[in-house]
Amino acid sequence: MISIISLLFWLLIIPFCIGLIPANFILPYKRNPGVVILAGYFCMWALFEVITIPAVLWVQYHNFSVASNCFTVLSIAGAIGGLLVWQRNTKKGKPGLLFGSNKKKNDTCVTRKEPMHRFAEIKATEIKNDDYVIKKKRMKHLIDMTWAECVEWLLFLALVGFQLYKALAYSSFDGDDAYYVVESLLAQQADVMYRILPYTGGSTGLDVRHVLAVFPMWVAFVAVKSGIHATIVSHVVMPIVLIPLTYLVYYEIGKMLFAGKPSREAGQAKENEKKETGKGRDKNSSLPGQQENLPVFMIVMAMFQIFGNVSIYTNETFFLTRTWQGKAVAGSLVIPAFLWLFLWIYDGVKKEKRADAGLWILFVCVNMTAGICSSIAVFIVSILIVVTAFCLMLAERDIKVLFKIGAACIPNVIYMGIYVVMAYSYLLS
Amino acid sequence: MWGIFLESVVIFKNYMGFHEGSYLAGIYLFILLYLWLTEKDKHRRAIFVYAPTLLLLMFFCPLFRKLFVRVLDDSETYYRLLWLLQMSLVSAYGMVKLCGRHRRIGLIIICVAVIACGNYVYDSEHITKAENIYHLPQEAIDIVDMIEPEEGRITVLVPADLIYYVRQYSTNIELPYGREMLIARWDYYHAMYEAMEKAEVIETESFVELTRDAEVNGGHPCTYVVLKEDREIEEPLTDYGFEIYGQVGEFVVYKDMTLTNS
Repeated sequence: MISIISLLFWLLIIPFCIGLIPANFILPYKRNPGVVILAGYFCMWALFEVITIPAVLWVQYHNFSVASNCFTVLSIAGAIGGLLVWQRNTKKGKPGLLFGSNKKKNDTCVTRKEPMHRFAEIKATEIKNDDYVIKKKRMKHLIDMTWAECVEWLLFLALVGFQLYKALAYSSFDGDDAYYVVESLLAQQADVMYRILPYTGGSTGLDVRHVLAVFPMWVAFVAVKSGIHATIVSHVVMPIVLIPLTYLVYYEIGKMLFAGKPSREAGQAKENEKKETGKGRDKNSSLPGQQENLPVFMIVMAMFQIFGNVSIYTNETFFLTRTWQGKAVAGSLVIPAFLWLFLWIYDGVKKEKRADAGLWILFVCVNMTAGICSSIAVFIVSILIVVTAFCLMLAERDIKVLFKIGAACIPNVIYMGIYVVMAYSYLLS
Repeated sequence: MWGIFLESVVIFKNYMGFHEGSYLAGIYLFILLYLWLTEKDKHRRAIFVYAPTLLLLMFFCPLFRKLFVRVLDDSETYYRLLWLLQMSLVSAYGMVKLCGRHRRIGLIIICVAVIACGNYVYDSEHITKAENIYHLPQEAIDIVDMIEPEEGRITVLVPADLIYYVRQYSTNIELPYGREMLIARWDYYHAMYEAMEKAEVIETESFVELTRDAEVNGGHPCTYVVLKEDREIEEPLTDYGFEIYGQVGEFVVYKDMTLTNS
């Protein structure tokens, strides 16, 4: 029982409370509990990386305890900070940190600086017609959901439930577990990170390929805090957490692609706005009535995961057969998270909205999360970011896009610098 | 350069599972083409059309592959670049867009297409009913429970079938060699592995000598030796100071009594 409470604390409450901090910097009408928990996880993993990598590199004995204790203190402090921000907002009559708000003019958060207040005020008048109507329509849509949509959502939930059942009731053999799971177990049982050979138990030096990817250490942290064997945490607890979390990212992407589409009224508002300002969203960027397509999109995504095992290499195969490994998290959670953020920052919105600091904080944290998943993930997500930023720059005809996105990739540069120095340090000696 | 390009083609084909009759890649490429023709939103076009196309071109570019392999010192993970295409996301978006208002019939067609072109992940031979909450073979757990010391660590020689699992259950069990010996392309050598797995029939005398050689076994002699009951061996280990300590399924656990006595 204590184990379950502890799991809930470290896997739900702490990330959620930490997520309140970046959510504070995300414009109110974009927030929802899903965004808060995703933001919390990415921030928590980024924090874990910042604490654990130095401990791995520079602390020789009991380095897991050192990292674990520091992370415990800082993550609890972060969670308390999140709660304080929430409480302050609530006290000042500015709710919406969790569920978002449409009252653009008055609900800017307490920690935003004056320019952001002013910015929000300007924006409120700009998008009131459009976004408010969308939200209203969305709520109405929720109530008016047709039986077909209900069935589709149930079908989607059944598919996710099926995947969770398979993850719990079936075991999936993967040779890499002899490395990653044992690394987690070594941290739990021997209090050592990356100083013992997982395959045999002999002592070893730092292996650059793995030591920077500290995801197994986070698994070990959860194991230690909950008092559950690290192998059980890897094979049973992680899928329960990571599969829904991944679908949450897909859901947010789907919402960007479909549910955020303007309804007829919003379309009308948009037309009015266009007439007034002489500019608006791109033509054909949306079609009315596509909100109903969100459950269809989610079902198709779930089907792709279940039938995406066309080879042992696909990210879909990794997602369902080695969910608990960092590289699977990189392929199925982190890379889509970048697409989500790209869509969020750039998709069909006006340039001013991109000043949303919270999204850039998240972008940095997702970059850092790639680092805890796998060293190679940092390199490949950097390629993705460079290529997408280049395409967006051409689409926007604005070179600043490259600089902004480039600045958000500074953690990757530091990470790759450490990797290269470690990998090629023998050339210096 | 042509050779490097062809290598990338082979990696692509293996990734997409063409050799196994899976054609999800066909759906993806069709949808990519469809989005090229129909996606009007410039940002979505950049994210879902231009970027994946550029990434595909980069994947096949020999110079890029050379650079990737040189920097990471690893050619085995080149396929992960294809993860950036996010086939399922792009395909799902394009397919739903393609179906437009014909949602229900569209969903049925999409599902049929995905099932027909894909491969059911749970059909994998590597996925089996879990025997316990650890998701490890019960035999591995029973053996470790039988021999694990209350304090300290011991070295145990186990057959290849158990190598992956023993240390996932307890890190108090050390092994003379591990998973690295089972992957042929890594091409490692270990005298104990040669004697245990490579020999058709175990030569008992030299085998026992090796199990007691601390240097060969990573610092400690093997306190226990686990053999499959049908493993061929010249003379029984019991003639050389071992005792049968127990049996779990098809695995017989021998204890080296000379170590206990000394």
